[in-house]
Amino acid sequence: MIATLRVTDTGWLTTFQDLGRVGSEQRGVPTGGAADQHSASVANLLVGNPRGAALVESVGGELALVPDRDVLVAVTGAPAYVTVGDLEIERWTPVLVPAGCELRVSDIHSGTRVYVAVGGALRAPRLLGSVAPDARMGFPQTIATGSAIEVETGFAGFDPAALDALADDEAALRLPVPELCFGEGEQGEWTVDVVESAELDRVPGMRELLAETLYTVTDRSNHVGLRLDGAVTHPESDEEIVSHGVPVGALEVPHADELIVLGRYRSLTAGYPIVGFATRASLPVLGQAGPGRALRFRWVDRRDAVLRHAAREHELRALEIAVRDSFARLGYSPRATPASALAEPGQHPTTR
Amino acid sequence: MNTSQALSVTAVPFGDSAVMLSTPGGSARADIIELRGRLLARRLPGVVDVVSGLESLLIEFDPLESSAEQVELAARLLAEVPADAGRGGDADASSPVRAPHRFDVPVVFDEETGPDLAAVAVEVGLEAAEVVRRIAGSTFTIALLGAAMAPMMDGLDLPRPVRRSTTPRTDVVPGSVMIAGSNAIIQPFPGPSGWRVVGRTPKRIVDIERDEPVSFAPGDTVRFVPVPRGEAEGDAHGGFLLPSGDGPGATGPDDAGPAADSRAAASTETEARA
Repeated sequence: MIATLRVTDTGWLTTFQDLGRVGSEQRGVPTGGAADQHSASVANLLVGNPRGAALVESVGGELALVPDRDVLVAVTGAPAYVTVGDLEIERWTPVLVPAGCELRVSDIHSGTRVYVAVGGALRAPRLLGSVAPDARMGFPQTIATGSAIEVETGFAGFDPAALDALADDEAALRLPVPELCFGEGEQGEWTVDVVESAELDRVPGMRELLAETLYTVTDRSNHVGLRLDGAVTHPESDEEIVSHGVPVGALEVPHADELIVLGRYRSLTAGYPIVGFATRASLPVLGQAGPGRALRFRWVDRRDAVLRHAAREHELRALEIAVRDSFARLGYSPRATPASALAEPGQHPTTR
Repeated sequence: MNTSQALSVTAVPFGDSAVMLSTPGGSARADIIELRGRLLARRLPGVVDVVSGLESLLIEFDPLESSAEQVELAARLLAEVPADAGRGGDADASSPVRAPHRFDVPVVFDEETGPDLAAVAVEVGLEAAEVVRRIAGSTFTIALLGAAMAPMMDGLDLPRPVRRSTTPRTDVVPGSVMIAGSNAIIQPFPGPSGWRVVGRTPKRIVDIERDEPVSFAPGDTVRFVPVPRGEAEGDAHGGFLLPSGDGPGATGPDDAGPAADSRAAASTETEARA
C-alpha cells in the first residue's frame, strides 16, 4: 500500500538521498549520496529498510511532514528538536507517526544534516540507479514545501496484543543503536583520523603541521569539499601532477594557504599534492562539519583505520538484526517488502 | 599497439579504501586504458569503482572484502598476461569494455560559438581558419569520462599546447567544444570551465532521461565535423549524440601527447568547482 506524506515545511534545503551511486565513478559521475553515510544507514535500519534505501535529508531550518496513514519513521544525524504533534520525540529510534499528525524537525545544531527515514520504499526519480542529487547533471532532487512524498509500505501498525505483552519489559525492545559520536574536544573541535599519503614527504613540515594545527571549516565549503583555514606548507619542487581520481576524504593542499578535504561530489583533481586521507570511519563526522567547526587531525595507520571501520560495520549489522527481531515480536516483518541489503551483498556500499 | 605486451604497473595505497595504479613508461596513456580494460573485464572481488585519470587508475574497494595488497597483486597478474590470451583469437568480440566506436560530431566554429578561437589562433601562431582546419583534421581518442560524463579526449593536432583561460568562465553553455593542452572536451551541462571555448555542437552529449546517459566510452575515437550555423540549427544535426560506426580498431592513442601539457589540460576540476 502507499502512504503519502505531505511536506509542510522544508527549511533551507531538503532533498531525496541515499548512499550514492555504485560503479558510476568509472563514467565520470561521482558517487554522491549522504555526506554522513552512518546516520543515513542507521535511520534506514531503524525502520526496517535496507541501509541503502531512499530517505530524506535536510540541511538546516525546519522540516515537517504529515502522513495520511500511520508510518514508522526514524530521525538521525545532527542534534535537533523533533516533535510529533505536540510531543517531543527521541531521535535515533523508530517512532510511529499517526495519520494526520505532523512530524517536525527544528533547531538543527552542532552538525549540518538530519536524515528522516520512512519504513518502506520511497518513490523518487533515479539517476544511474540512485536517488542522490547530482546538481552538475541537472538532477537536484529538491523536495518543495507543498509537495507529497509517496512511500510503498507494508507497515500496518504493530500487533496490539504483542505491544501489551511487552509493555512492562522495556529491555525486550531496546535496540543497540550506534549513534554518531562527534568526540567533541575542549575547544569544540572534532577529531578526524587520517592516514598518510605517499606524497606527504614532498610537502616539508606538513606531517607535523597537520597534527598540531586546529583547522576551521570555512563558508567556502560545499558538497565537493570542505575548505579549511589553518596552517599549510607547499611542495618545494613544482613536480607535475596530471589529472587523476581521488577517494572521498582526500586532503589536498591547493596553491592558496588552505586545506581541502574532498567530499562525495569531488571529481578528478590535478596539480595539487594529496597529503593524507581521512579514514572511512571518520567520514560521517566530516560530513556533518559546517562552517565555523574546528577540526583536529590525528595520524593513524591503515590497519587501524580498517579495524575501526570493521567495528562500525559490526555495529550496523547488530542493529539490523536487533530491529528485525524486535519487529518480528511485534508482528511486523518489513523484509516482506523491498529487497534487503542482506539479500544482495555488494549491492549497497557499506558506510563510506 | 600494446595489446599483446606485458605492462609495467606500480601501486600506491590511497587511504584505507583505495589504491592508485599507474603504468610508467613511454606509452603510459595507452597502457592505462589497456589495464583498465583488463581490470573491468574481471570484476575483482571487493572492488567498488575504477576511476580513470590521464595516466592512472584509482581502484576503490571495500576494505572488509579486499585490500590494497590484493588489488595490487591482481593488477600485476593481469598486467603480465597478454591481452589476447584466452580470447579465442578474436580480441574485439570479447573485448573487456567493448569494441571502440567512432563519432563524427558536427560543430559550428565561429566567433559566437567559439569566443576563444581568435585568441587561441594568436597563441599558437596560426590563422583562426587554420586552427579550425587542424581541429577538424585531428582524430581524438576518449581518454576518460570527466566531470558529469564529459568526454575528455587526447589527440589535438596544433603546433603547441593550448593554455587554459587565465580567468575561468563561470557559465559555459552545453555543447561547447573546448580545448586545452593537447586535449579536447565537450561541455555536457551549463557550468564553469577554464578550458578554451572554440565551437559548439548542436548534439546532446549527455541525456539523463536515458537509461544510458551517454553513448561513448574511453577508447572511442572522435572527429569534429565543421557545419555552417544555419544548417546546425535545423534538425539534421541535433538530437542525442550516437556513434557513426566502429572505430579504426585502436584501443588507445598511438601517440600520447607531450606529458607537459596535461597539467594545463587537467588542472581544473577541483580548482574551478570546489
